[in-house]
Amino acid sequence: MKKIFTLLVAVVMMITLTACQGTGGTTTEGTEGGTTSSTINVYTRDASSGTREAFEDAIGLGEDLTDAASEVSSNGDMATRVGQDPNGIGYVSLTTDFEANNVKPLSFEGVEASNETVLDGSYLMQRPFKYMTRASGDFESDDKEQLVAAFIAYITESTEGLTVVSEAGGIVDMTNARPWSEIAAEYPVLNNDNSGITIRTGGSTSVEKVVEAALQAFQPLAGNVQYAMSQSGSGDAQPRTLGDEKDGPNAVDIGFTSREFKDDEDVSGAMVQGEMCKDAVVIIVEANNAKTDITASEAYDIFSGAKTTFDAE
Amino acid sequence: MFADAKRIRRNKTLDKIFRYLFLGMAVLSASFIVIIVLFIFLKGIAPFLPGYEYGQVDLISFLTGSVYRQDQATYGVGFIVINTLICSFLALLLSFPLSVLTALFIAKIAPKKLGAAMQSVIELLASVPSVVFGIFASGVITAIVRYLASMMGISTFGGSSLLAVIILLAIMIFPTLTSMSITAIKAVDPDLESASLALGATKTQTNFKVVLTAAKSGIFAGAILGLGRAFGEATAVSMVAGNKLFGPTIDLFDITRTLTSTILTGLKETTGLDYDIRFSVGLVLIAVIFVSNWILNQVKKRIGNQV
Repeated sequence: MKKIFTLLVAVVMMITLTACQGTGGTTTEGTEGGTTSSTINVYTRDASSGTREAFEDAIGLGEDLTDAASEVSSNGDMATRVGQDPNGIGYVSLTTDFEANNVKPLSFEGVEASNETVLDGSYLMQRPFKYMTRASGDFESDDKEQLVAAFIAYITESTEGLTVVSEAGGIVDMTNARPWSEIAAEYPVLNNDNSGITIRTGGSTSVEKVVEAALQAFQPLAGNVQYAMSQSGSGDAQPRTLGDEKDGPNAVDIGFTSREFKDDEDVSGAMVQGEMCKDAVVIIVEANNAKTDITASEAYDIFSGAKTTFDAE
Repeated sequence: MFADAKRIRRNKTLDKIFRYLFLGMAVLSASFIVIIVLFIFLKGIAPFLPGYEYGQVDLISFLTGSVYRQDQATYGVGFIVINTLICSFLALLLSFPLSVLTALFIAKIAPKKLGAAMQSVIELLASVPSVVFGIFASGVITAIVRYLASMMGISTFGGSSLLAVIILLAIMIFPTLTSMSITAIKAVDPDLESASLALGATKTQTNFKVVLTAAKSGIFAGAILGLGRAFGEATAVSMVAGNKLFGPTIDLFDITRTLTSTILTGLKETTGLDYDIRFSVGLVLIAVIFVSNWILNQVKKRIGNQV
């Protein structure tokens, strides 16, 4: 009993000693005129996050993220943590409530993030959510083709549908929106009982939240049409609607990408294709941080670990 | 007479039926363990076999690696195992004296009514869901750590740190440890105490030298159970661990990463190798728990035999 106790005490002392040694390296570099300069704490999302993908693409980070980063589990988690850390920096989607989380959004390359700057293209840290459908006549039934067309019209043209998309995090242009009742009149199939029809969606995982919200809202408007989502990545959108997987087990009716279509993705055969909405990412710091703007190269330096302190501005 | 014989026969068949029913239940529940372990094993071992669809992973570098990054497809859990052990054992170290002294107070020193009231409070603490502990930790414990760190002039990740994990786990295993200790202390033969008192030992001497010595085996069993909970806790830990990408972490104010938080973070959104490798991490966790339980049980036997 005594031996074990001594052993435990020894272990504790050893750990305390090493801990002291460890903290020695990260102490603050001293205060000058009331401002403390300390090491930047970099926060990132886990590697499967769509926001992280959009962020890293925008600043060209690739695989160069610093090892010293802390991984957080969600958008809200990110905002909370950066809001509690005066030396923290992270990134969230534009729909985040900045004030409630005590964080400050930074302008990117001199442009402040807002719905307007995202839509006119001047704010650069953004990506489009695009869709493509199967070719006209290539659906299982005419009714299904009509329903898919109606759904696309719902999310891109109707006031109600655009509102749903916007509430789910997408950034949309409402200027040309029309009331749904007007659009619905063009699709008589909506008046049938469609519970036997299932719209299948695929492609990007980042669009999942927006598309699911839209499908849920669309369901009661379209004779209780069913839906099945199998989002697996932008690269699967074209093959599974129009390409060589379109008649396979993973075939879908609507494919989504969270980027522009690539040159080798031929969407000319689609019944309809286009942009559903935009998604924007904002770099955030704690609310009292003096920093207000960040460039792509500075963001790269901070997130790759080359730059470890905020400049006095 | 005839009716009696019939009744006896009927009761006998009934007994038999129930015996097989109970046997069936026992086999069913036992087979769950086998199925779970088998499933995790088969899924977890797959990435290391040749011909794995996302590219074979090297087992040695997986087990000894000190970097875990999905974006670079570098999966090393060596440092995570060390982190997990550090977190759990330090939490136990923090919680153990507190629990044993609390148990001693409740079982021996406190007036009956107060003791009973405190015991139910501790049992209540045991039934608090772990996510609630997690919210408490990310709101309160991280704030305390932040304050401590700023006093010492250290920069932390908003309070998420090894220290926060240790404090959180210490609180979470406290009820388990205490309840087990209370049971062990209450089971000590009162004659032993009377003898000690009769020989002139004071109440305090008796409590520490006789009661605790006699109950140490049971207390140690509580420690093993508590350690099991500390190893396995995922939700609350991942809320304050910060998930560091490399390690091991020995700096109390630095962020850390445990096996459970590694499995949990981003699980819902991921696919492919990054998904499958989590089963391998789970397998490592099971192995760590088995090994440490075995070692502790050996120690327990040793301690139990000494008087």
